[in-house]
Amino acid sequence: MLLAALTPMDDRVVLPDTTLVQRLLQNDVSAFETLYDRHSRRVYALVLRILQQAGPAEEVVQDVFLQLWRNTAQYDVTRGPFVPWLVTLARNRALDTLRLKSERQRRLEDQTDELAPIVAAPQYEKELDEKRRAEQVRSLMGELNPQQKRAIELAYFEGLSHTEIAAALKEPLGTVKSWIRNGLMRLKEGLQATT
Amino acid sequence: MDPKWFDAPEGRIASDHLKNCDHLRDLFEGYALGVLDAEERTVIEAHLATGCADCAKSVGEARWLVSQLAYMAADSMPSEMLKGRLMRKIRAEARDPQSAGRFKTSVPFWMWAGVAALFLVTLYLGWDAHRLQEQIRAANDQTAAQIQERTKSEERLAATEAQLANARKENAILTDPASARITLAAQNFSGPQLEVYWHAQYGMVLTGQRVPVPPGNRVLQLWLIPKAPGGKPIPSLTLRPDADGKFVLLVSHPPEVAAGTKALAITEEPLGGSSQPTAAPRWVGRVG
Repeated sequence: MLLAALTPMDDRVVLPDTTLVQRLLQNDVSAFETLYDRHSRRVYALVLRILQQAGPAEEVVQDVFLQLWRNTAQYDVTRGPFVPWLVTLARNRALDTLRLKSERQRRLEDQTDELAPIVAAPQYEKELDEKRRAEQVRSLMGELNPQQKRAIELAYFEGLSHTEIAAALKEPLGTVKSWIRNGLMRLKEGLQATT
Repeated sequence: MDPKWFDAPEGRIASDHLKNCDHLRDLFEGYALGVLDAEERTVIEAHLATGCADCAKSVGEARWLVSQLAYMAADSMPSEMLKGRLMRKIRAEARDPQSAGRFKTSVPFWMWAGVAALFLVTLYLGWDAHRLQEQIRAANDQTAAQIQERTKSEERLAATEAQLANARKENAILTDPASARITLAAQNFSGPQLEVYWHAQYGMVLTGQRVPVPPGNRVLQLWLIPKAPGGKPIPSLTLRPDADGKFVLLVSHPPEVAAGTKALAITEEPLGGSSQPTAAPRWVGRVG
């Protein structure tokens, strides 16, 4: 029993993302595969929602994970939690594709901080599994009025600005700004309330 | 926050606003979402560039909040083919990280391109400088050769001019009735007579034909025998006839005037001549 407790290698141990990312620096392919298995669905779902087509979405997902593999050093624990960072990276890349940003321009941005924004976990963040977090966010967003939710979706999934959303929804600019800000504050308060 | 704040003229975006975080906090979520206009983004980024740790943290938290919106996307799973394709690439790059550019340095491509361009420019400039040096050296050589050629030409011209002047002087001496004609007869051998024309102003000209050429390095030397009693022969120029035994010798400045000279004599002397005769005269001619 004592020997079993001291066994260092236990296949059932679930390693945290940060540990797996550290292993990428040692060329650990299995760590990469674990990260892919763990997060590719979420990344793909987001990118597919933005691009609306499976082929281009898979291309972007491949780019994002290759970027993670090739430039692992861009991420470190001081840049905050891994998943929001990866999601932000995937959203930026998908919106770039949506805007037909050139490959050359993207390569240039790979050298900058654009692809590696600092994402800080707030104090109210609680470790939830993917399914529960998704339910929570969808529930909170579902409480918004349809126009308010649509304004946020246009911003997040289509990368539109305040002005562009106001034009798309044919609403005053000030109204759109209030909808988006209030909607995000409602989401923030809702997530805080669950902790 | 005053919603009209960002509509203000640019001059009102003063530095005190950049330092006052309270004016910006309401914009952080919009900034993370990417909905702000360019002017608003610029103001926030300018403030973050000041190193405000509180606002940097707030922007990071806003990004986290915005990242949660990804859960609004309906669940969907990528194809197995994508994973297979991706893992093949990853395994290949894991076997040869350098070729795939993994663990590359933080030096971006454009900087390497710049270094390469700089190297090529340096290489070109070095080659160009070498080429210019070669051209300068060739031009210097050419100039030196031209100077040398010009010097030679000038020397040839001077020699020609001197020959011409001598020829004119010889002609003047030989044709001027004022010149005294002196005949030098061979002494003790059957040689030809030599002739001297002596002009008081231009000097004398000594000519001969079919004259036996002295052996080896020996030459014929002209002597002036003074009238003064006990006077020693005065050495003059030396000569060597050509292969046909012809010669013309111009003595522009004879060492003595005709009035003071009793006779002219020619002896055979070593090359370069002598200060006094070393042999008996071969030709002798009386002056006057």
